[in-house]
Order: sequence, then structure tokens, then C-alpha cells
Amino acid sequence: MGMASQRGIAMMIFAWGNIVSVFGWFIAIYMVIVISFYSVILVISFFQLRKEYQLDRVQAYEDYSDEFYTKPVSIIVPAYNEEAGIIQSVRSLLSVNYPKFEVIVVNDGSTDFTLEKVIEHYDMKEIKKVVRKQVETKPIGRIYQSNILANLFLIDKENGGKADALNVGLNFSHYPYFCSLDGDSVLEQDAFLKVMKPIIDSNEEVIASGGSVRIANGCQIKNGHIQKIALSNKPLVVMQIIEYLRAFLMGRIGLSRHNLLLIISGAFGVFSKHWVILAGGYKTDTVGEDMELVVRIHRLLKEKGIKKKIVYVPDPVCWTEVPEDLTFLRRQRRRWHRGLFESLWTHRKITFNPKYGSIGFISFPYFWIVEFFGPIIEFLGYLFMILCLFLGGIYVEFAILLFLLSCLYGSIFSMTAVLLEEWSLTKYPRVSDIIKLFLYSLTETIWYRPMTVYWRCEGIWQMIIGDRSWGEMKRKGVSE
Amino acid sequence: MLKNELYFLSILSLTILGLLVVLLMYLSIRKAIDINNRKKIERYIEKYQLILFTMLTEGGYSRGLSPESILEQKAIEELLSRYSKILEGEDEKKRLSDLASLYLIDYYRKRLKSKRWSQRMNTLYHIEDFKLNLLIEDIFMLTKKKRLSREELIHTLRILALFQYENMFEMLTTEYNSLSEYEYRNILGRLVQQQFEQFIFHFHKSSPSLQKAILDVISLKRELNYLPFLENIFSAYKGEIRLRALKALSEIGYVKNTEPYLQLLYSTKWEERMVAAKLIGSLKEVKGISRLIELLHDQTWWVRSQAGQAISQFPNGHQILQEVYETSKDVFAKDMAWEWLHKGV
Repeated sequence: MGMASQRGIAMMIFAWGNIVSVFGWFIAIYMVIVISFYSVILVISFFQLRKEYQLDRVQAYEDYSDEFYTKPVSIIVPAYNEEAGIIQSVRSLLSVNYPKFEVIVVNDGSTDFTLEKVIEHYDMKEIKKVVRKQVETKPIGRIYQSNILANLFLIDKENGGKADALNVGLNFSHYPYFCSLDGDSVLEQDAFLKVMKPIIDSNEEVIASGGSVRIANGCQIKNGHIQKIALSNKPLVVMQIIEYLRAFLMGRIGLSRHNLLLIISGAFGVFSKHWVILAGGYKTDTVGEDMELVVRIHRLLKEKGIKKKIVYVPDPVCWTEVPEDLTFLRRQRRRWHRGLFESLWTHRKITFNPKYGSIGFISFPYFWIVEFFGPIIEFLGYLFMILCLFLGGIYVEFAILLFLLSCLYGSIFSMTAVLLEEWSLTKYPRVSDIIKLFLYSLTETIWYRPMTVYWRCEGIWQMIIGDRSWGEMKRKGVSE
Repeated sequence: MLKNELYFLSILSLTILGLLVVLLMYLSIRKAIDINNRKKIERYIEKYQLILFTMLTEGGYSRGLSPESILEQKAIEELLSRYSKILEGEDEKKRLSDLASLYLIDYYRKRLKSKRWSQRMNTLYHIEDFKLNLLIEDIFMLTKKKRLSREELIHTLRILALFQYENMFEMLTTEYNSLSEYEYRNILGRLVQQQFEQFIFHFHKSSPSLQKAILDVISLKRELNYLPFLENIFSAYKGEIRLRALKALSEIGYVKNTEPYLQLLYSTKWEERMVAAKLIGSLKEVKGISRLIELLHDQTWWVRSQAGQAISQFPNGHQILQEVYETSKDVFAKDMAWEWLHKGV
């Protein structure tokens, strides 16, 4: 071997080492930035939540149940093959504590007996009505009204997806506010009072309002009511509970304070119909129609220079069923990630555009960098850690550094979220629940986080190779 | 190379972890205590339930009930709160208020000064529910407090209104003259007639949101003696205020002279046509029927819908709607007629 080639190899090793450390530092700095961002949000949430600790909420919402003060709400329930849970869902909705509302079930061309079940159970009779087409939709078929309950309607339409079904409900609805609800969620009795409060209080300056979504798996539910709150025994569900707590208690409250909210959860939120129709209704060709709509409304407001708000209420208002096994959770996460991308990409113009103010400079960069690219960087981080362990020497130290950072990033924030819940809302009844949640969140960095990160990367990959399929979630029904 | 960073990060992580564990311990203990207290309160509730109920329904006092601990007071508070929602009779309500004054007033005085916002709010809710008139001065003093939150202020004003505090009018027109319509409505709705009339005399000088609130409260009260006032407002004002006055008139369902309102059915503004239709419907003014039938063909959905409702209020309303449904060539009018024919089946 000649001198030249030896020097070549030395150079290569040197360059390689350089690349490795530059990359390592990049990941480390990225994590530090994200950790600081989360910390700021945490502090904001902390004060907001503390204020309402032990507030008697029943009392606080009592006035709003007086019809004179409240605005009527249309509840839209898109149903596609939900024969298992539809009657329960509707029953839970009909018993909601709110002075004036209507329930509109939109049967999105189900191939099972969803339609027949509702017709039979609630004695639905066909009515003739011209529906104002304010948003384009697939053609609708018959419209029914219940003979027993005048505020229950059922619309049969051609299959066109959830967003299309929501648009049909939107066209048909009679009231100025509407709420969309997934087939298998259970509402708290006072859900509407809670989310409508900011709208009424602000004299309609707030045009959309969402509430916390909690996980129903493990709770006792009867006839569409939560009977007893309890923790599930399945680790995968417990981890999702922690994840939800973290997202809702920490992230959204902090963002809501500054009107930066880009997501009203698909599971529960109330919108002003006027603004949604002005924005053009739900978009049908995306998997994340809920987020996309909120972004579009924000955009509309900024473009027209109107001061309206979208807020979030920390109170849990809706309980939903989450996947209990890996296959379905994996599909869900892939789908979510794709939905996120589609919303961001459709409205990419907003990113760093001074016209859109804080949405353009804080919300959008946050969703791009932390939510969308985050998983890729984290995933590379995990690979890098493994690589460093093999390289040995100072790289091992580097691996430890990254691991500590990701502990801060993952476990510690989750643990804080769990404690924040117990400190302010105290929804879980037993001491052991809290300890269990705390200990589980300690393990997040080791298994749950890498797993979900991997799935989200898969979602990106699917998008790149153009795989358009997504599985429906299998529901076993939350109600007894 | 990374010794320092590693050292720093490990210390940081461990410190935070340590802090969190301490916090966890604190919260667990707190939870255990809370659960225990809750059980005790439940036991007190069970123990006092009957005594309290007898006192409420039959009057008199019982020596068996002398709450000393905070938990006992909480139990009584909860019991009274439950009863306050179901008791109907005036005597019972009076007794409830007396009992609450007897057992809870010192507790509330203290809690109104609590450092915690949520505690103060809860206390305000209860004072309102139990109508604790005796605390009126304490409540008034709250409004003078610096750094009073918006929610507290509004609730304080509501309670003062409920207790018919004499300076309400001055307070709302000078010091607190920029409340929202909803807030004003909430406060004004609690005033008795004599107090409320001060606002009516002052109407022309009020802010638009106070004006709207006044009109809404009238439409809620539906009292015939506000009729001249409303008709006056209707002819003197424009826009939203005029519409609200009309709405209030339609709630009352009576006017002296229907002519100007029949004219309004031809207004160029759809909002006015809509509210006018509502009014004519509630007046059951036969002269308006032919125009209402025309309004079933109006281009605005709201007007059509209101016209349909108005027609259905007439004694022969169904017949008219049936006719429109059978003879009209306009699909929208047909549809609306059908809808009102089948409303509330």
C-alpha cells in the first residue's frame, strides 16, 4: 500500500468522524430547541390550569343551560358502517344537557344496517325538504325525521367519506353552531355548556371551540354515559392516555392562550357555521379534514383582517375509544401523520409569511419542525445512538448525551403532564391510578416513543411511494 | 470531550426527576387525604340529610345540627345546594336562605378573601344560590378590590343586582359602562321592575350593548306596560336596535296600531322582513296574511322560514299552508309550506 492511499484512508476516517459529529450535534441542538419550546408552553398551561383548580364546574355552567342565553347547536354524526354503536351514540347525544339542539345522523352510504337500525329504533319518517346547497357534496337521498323526537334527523347519501358526510350535515343543519362527532365517542353531560361558554362569553368573538378528549377504554360506560372513570390494564392504552394528557393539557392550553391553535380535535369541537361555510366547508380529499378546516379558517380570518378566535377548553368533554392493539394503532398513526402533512402542504404559503402573523411564524413552523419533521429527526437520532455504541470511544458519550436529551424530551414532559392533571383536574379516582400513570410515563422513551416515531416515519414513506390506502379502525364499541 | 455536557445533563435530568418524584409524593398524599375527606363529608351528608330536610320543610331549628369543622360545613353546603335546586315553595326557599346564613355566613366571609380564584368563585356561586342577602356589603366591597378578575366582577354585579343593590344604576352607567351585551343582560335580568325602569328612562343615553340588553330583557319579561316604550324605540331607532325592539314586541304579541308593521313586511332589508313576519304571526293580524304568503317565496331562507311559522300561528294557518303546498310552482315555497305543515309532528 502506498503512502497516498494511506493518507486517503486517514482523510476518509477524519471526514467520516466529522460528518458523524456534525450530525450528532444537529440532533442535539434540535432537541434542545424543542425542549425549550415545550417548556414555555408548559409554563403557560401551568398557570391557566392552576387558576381553575377545584372550581365548581357544575355551578359555573349552570347559567348557560338557560335557553335565553344560549345559542342552539346542530350535532352532526357521520356514520359509515356503525351499526354496532350508532344507537348508543345517538342515545347519549339526545340526553345531553343543553337547552336547544338537533342531532343529524348522516349515513354515508353504509353497506351494513346502520340506516335501518336508526329508522327502526327511533321511528323515523321520511320528510321532503329542499336542502340549501351551501357547500358542494355528493347527492343525497332520503331525509328522515323521528316521529318520537322532533330534533332527530337522518340523511341517507351516497358514500363520499367523512368530510363529505359532514358537509351534507352542514348544508342541512338549522342552527348557527354545529359540532361534529365521531360515531363511537361518549360526551359528558355538560359538554356543550362547557365548549359553548367561551363563545357566549366572548359575545361570539370566539368562532370555534374545542374540548379535551380523554380515553374511554377501561372506563365503565352504560347507555352512553360514563359511570366510572378507571385506567385500562393494557400498557398500550395507558401510554395513549399519557400521550393525550400531554397533548391536551400541555400543548393546547398553551397555544390557545395566544390564538395559535391549529387543531380542534376531530373528536370534539364546536364551530360557527357561518365561518365554516365562508371558508368552504370540509375538504374531502384529505385524511385530516378537521385540522385542515381550522387552518383554513385561520387563514381566512388573517386574510380578511378579522379579529376572531379559536379556543380550547381544558375540561374533558368527550371520551373516545382508542386502538388496543399494535396493528390498528400503527395504522392510525400513519394516517394522522399523513393528514398533518396534507394540511401543512395545502397551506404551505402561510409558513413564515408576515401576512399571517403569529400563525405564520410560530404555529406553522412548530407543526413543520416539531410535529412533522420531528419523527424523522428522532428516528435518525435513535439510529445514530445505536451506531455510536458500535463506534465506541467518545461516541458512546455522545450516545448517552442524546439519550438523556430524549429522556427529557419524552419521559419527563409526560410525567409532568400526568402530575399536572392530578394537580389541577384530578379526574382519576384512585391514588394508584396516578402512580401507575407516572411510572408508565417513565418508560416512554424506551419503547412507546420510538415505536410511534417509527410509525410516523412509515406514514411519510407511504406518502412518498404513493400508497393511498388507509385502514378503518376496528371498533368493539365502548358502551355496555 | 463531552464530560461537562454529560455531567450537566445528568444532573439536570436527575434533579428534575427528583423534583417530579417529590411532587408525585405530595400529590399522592394530597389525593389520599382528599379521598378520605370526601368519605367523611359523605358520612356527614347522610347524617344531616334528614334533619336539614325537616328544618326546611317544617321550619324551626334543631340542636342536633351544629357544624364546627370545615368538613361539616362543606357537607351542609352541598346538601343545601342540592335542595336549592329542587325546592319550589317560597317559604322553603326563605328557610333555606336563613339556614345558609346561620351555618355558612362566617365561612363564606372568610372564603371571599381566599387567595385562590376558584375558591372565591365557588363562594360567589353559593352566595347567589342561597340568596345570602346579609353578605351584600361584603360583596360590594369586592368590586372595590384591585386586581379583580373579569369573571369575579361580573358575578359580583349579578349578585348585587339579585339583591337589588340600590346603586346598580349608577354603577352600570358610569363605572362599568363597557360590559358586553351578554353580561348586561345577565345582570339586568335579575332586577325588579322599579330598578329596571331607571335603565329604561336612561335608554337614549346608553351604550348600544346596554340598549340591546335592555330590549332583550324586556322580551324575556313580556310585560305589557313596556309597550309604549318599545313602539317608541321602534320608530326612533334604526338597524339592530330597531330589530330588537320589534323582536320584543313580537314576544309580547300586542301592538296598538298594526299599520307600520304591515308596512315593514315590504322592507328592503331581509332582517326586517323576517322580524316583521314574526311579529305579524304573533299578533295574528289577518291583514298580513296575503303578504306572508308572498314572503313564502322570498329569496332569503330565513324570511321564508319565519313567514311559514307566522302563517302556521293563524287559526286557519294549516289550511293556507296546505293550499300553498298544493298550488305553488315555486319549489322553495312548497318546501317551506311542507316543513311548517309537518313541524312538531
